[in-house]
Amino acid sequence: MTPDSCWSDLRDAAQVLKSRHLSELLGDADRFDALAFEYDGLLLDLSRQRLLPETLDQLVELAEACRLPAKIDALIGGEPVNCTEGRAALHTALRTPAGKSLSLNGEDVIAGVQGTLAKMEALVDTLHSGQWRGYSGEAIDTVVNIGVGGSDLGPLMTCRALSDFKPAAARGIELHFVSSMDGSQLSGLLSSLNPATTLFVLSSKSFTTIDTLANAATARQWLLDAGGVDSEVILRHHFIGITAQPEKAGDWGIPSQNQLLFWDWTGGRYSMWSAIGLPIAIAIGMEGFRRLLAGAHSIDTHFHQAPLRENLPVLLALVGIWNINLLDIHAHAILPYDGRLAHLPAYLEQLEMESNGKRVRTDGSDTEGHTCPVLWGEIGPNAQHAFYQLLHQGTESVMCDFIVPAKRYTDRGLELQQQHRLALANCLAQARVLALGDRALDDDTAADAPPWKRYRGNQPSTVILLDELTPYSLGQLIATYEHKVYVQAVIWGINPFDQWGVELGKKMATAMLDELDNPGQANTLDSATRGLLNRINSLRGQG
Amino acid sequence: MKICVWGDELAGWVATAHLAGYGNEVIKAGSALVPAESAIRIEPGLMERIEQGIAAGRIRSSEEEDPFSAEIHWLAIGPGELEAASEIVAHLSAVHQGALLVVNQSNLGTGASDELQARLEQSRNQHVVYLPDMLQGGQAMRQFAQPEVLLVGCESESAGTMLTALMRPFTREGTEVRLMSRREAEFTKFAITGMLALRLGYINELAMLADHVGVDIETVRDGMSTDQRVGPHYLSPGCGFGGHHFTQYIEGLAGLLSKTRGSTLLETVLKQNEQHKELPFRKLWQHYRCNLQGRRIAIWGLAFKPGVATVESAPSLRVVDALLAQGAIIQLHDPEALEDFRFHYGEQQQLVYCDKPYDAVDGVDALLLLTAWPEYWSPNYTELRRLMRDPVIVDGRNVYDPHLLHDLGFTYYGVGRAGH
Repeated sequence: MTPDSCWSDLRDAAQVLKSRHLSELLGDADRFDALAFEYDGLLLDLSRQRLLPETLDQLVELAEACRLPAKIDALIGGEPVNCTEGRAALHTALRTPAGKSLSLNGEDVIAGVQGTLAKMEALVDTLHSGQWRGYSGEAIDTVVNIGVGGSDLGPLMTCRALSDFKPAAARGIELHFVSSMDGSQLSGLLSSLNPATTLFVLSSKSFTTIDTLANAATARQWLLDAGGVDSEVILRHHFIGITAQPEKAGDWGIPSQNQLLFWDWTGGRYSMWSAIGLPIAIAIGMEGFRRLLAGAHSIDTHFHQAPLRENLPVLLALVGIWNINLLDIHAHAILPYDGRLAHLPAYLEQLEMESNGKRVRTDGSDTEGHTCPVLWGEIGPNAQHAFYQLLHQGTESVMCDFIVPAKRYTDRGLELQQQHRLALANCLAQARVLALGDRALDDDTAADAPPWKRYRGNQPSTVILLDELTPYSLGQLIATYEHKVYVQAVIWGINPFDQWGVELGKKMATAMLDELDNPGQANTLDSATRGLLNRINSLRGQG
Repeated sequence: MKICVWGDELAGWVATAHLAGYGNEVIKAGSALVPAESAIRIEPGLMERIEQGIAAGRIRSSEEEDPFSAEIHWLAIGPGELEAASEIVAHLSAVHQGALLVVNQSNLGTGASDELQARLEQSRNQHVVYLPDMLQGGQAMRQFAQPEVLLVGCESESAGTMLTALMRPFTREGTEVRLMSRREAEFTKFAITGMLALRLGYINELAMLADHVGVDIETVRDGMSTDQRVGPHYLSPGCGFGGHHFTQYIEGLAGLLSKTRGSTLLETVLKQNEQHKELPFRKLWQHYRCNLQGRRIAIWGLAFKPGVATVESAPSLRVVDALLAQGAIIQLHDPEALEDFRFHYGEQQQLVYCDKPYDAVDGVDALLLLTAWPEYWSPNYTELRRLMRDPVIVDGRNVYDPHLLHDLGFTYYGVGRAGH
């Protein structure tokens, strides 16, 4: 089978299935057993997708025709799968346990990873024991992570998700995240912090990210103004740099003992497993961080070894391919039914859209069909009061991922357990109504309703059920999505590990800064930009 | 009367000494017939009276005489040992069919005496009275023998009569006896202790401020005490109070305040006190521009106060932890608590245990004084100056004269004395 013949078969299958409503498919009593997949406590329920078990067979054939197994080997084996930048994408190595080895350009990557983890551990221990001292000699009790994109979203999402897992030693440390270039987060925060006890973590792979360096400069000046000590002391005791460019970090002033390094083969949006995860380790302790890595490693092993037809990330990806390329669905909602996963939608927006929001294939040709859909999301119960109206009665087809833990608050009061049961009930009910529409009711009741009270249903969804939300299960969940993204990239023939699309805007912004400082220098601007610039400069001129 | 005294608090030893002096037979529960802590042994007049009592056969250990045979029991045990107290009282009730008097002089918290009473049979005339421990170290013998006021938590007439009889030798000269409920008396003790902690917390906060403002807190304190409303007591600034019992007792009160009233008043005092314990470290840290790696530092005084051989909750623990984490080498001396410290920390490369104070200062970059043992007050400055590599003194107890040290060529840091 060639990819083309697979696509052709799938199109035929789609023609037939498009006319069948999910309520009809769900009439099959064995459907859940045939379309729910479980590995190591993680359940992937595909029974509300608009396909049949045999469709999955066809999709797996497509994956095989696209040489997916070899591509998975290439990813995990450290081959330069990031072809436009000529390097590997070894986030899987970041969670490989000690004792294994993987050679890349003659160096053992795993040994390097473990070395960084050890340095992180020492640093976290110092902080947790109250022995990281600021300029006054007081112990650091506040850590501010300054980073953007992958240096922000992963740690932020995870710290929030695992806030119940703070060890006693970590409770004395308050954690904040600052990302916005305009300083709006930082300016508010600084007024409430004590400079003598605040430590800044500067996270930037390149250490040239303007957003981060602008915030860092403000933070450094704040400390210099408050401390009345020289900048060498401030840099030594109040800044940690996490980067793949130690020289740049050194130039900025971060002493080498305060640098935690990662490697160019770690993509920004795949970097929370590296030293970038320091805020996570500060929040949940190194032991918790290692459990997070272990959960991800469990999925890595599964992804590498399990047959495609039972492989959770592969199946999640193939269902996406089916929806996007064969059912023409181009919107994807992420709906966690657990408030701790509040930042998961934003995290997955970057992971999926920055990875696969591309139209050029690795051979330089244009892709033929659609690639990454538009992703967005919100905590499910809150989204019910926001955009579920569109899901239920709008004109757009939307595929949804419901993510929910079965158990929560098991060591807390009955009222809270009842609240989680309420969330679970809503999750199940919404997935059901999206699939069945008003066919969830009896025929008469549905038919008697006026048109504006009708629900057409047939919106496909996946339910990902965790036993409980823990560092381990979160690691599993995120690794599953990472590999899903890679599988889809393989099918589409694109490189998920670069992001050239964000470069031009950065470059133009630098030029625009000159225009704001010295108006009227360039005559090459378009009239729209020129018009706005004139307006802004005249407003600024009025002071 | 036959009395058994339980516990090793100062109050228990003072009661043992005085009660035996008036013809009572006193059984001191436990095997030791003399206090272990030097802070108790140095109590003026105490040891002589105990020795006399032993010689006269009126003080005996529980190995010589069954402690449960007495009908009057005096409890002077540490805070947090309510369970032990309960067991003693429960056992008493089990073996005594007749009357019993339990005088509770322990700081077990409000309601503890009522809990003990619940273990006794009131119908058999078995009673608990609460006698708050108001004794101050240094004056305890006199205060017990001639109290101006006696606060008594007592809810039974017969128990009151019994206690009055027992205390009669000490209350003849017009002692005012104030009767209240056990709970009220316990709360009164609680309130007094909290007040003292607040004073200490306040003077230490003022000391920090004095550093910023550039005045000497010792001069200010002198001025403050001239106001009778303020008075001189519990106003010595220093690098934090320690000691297991005092801290534990305040913690209990702070917890009660915060739980039932949402008040953080005492919690703040405790938190500030913990930070204050690190003050000598912070002075040193700033002196050496935030880098103590490889510096050799002497510490004089590890015990939480002079006269005790223990380092429980002592500032020295916080300071040593901080110095160890910064890679300093620490030379330690304490006249009595060195062994207890060694028990906590063991042998480590960065720690040098010294038997003599001048061995500890040999070749050091600074000397930190953390406990005001009398033998540290007037050192041989010439010798100090000669032995130290860098003559920096951080005086955590304000025992030295800043002017003198300055004139002798030392760099001096006290608590709230940056004015110099």
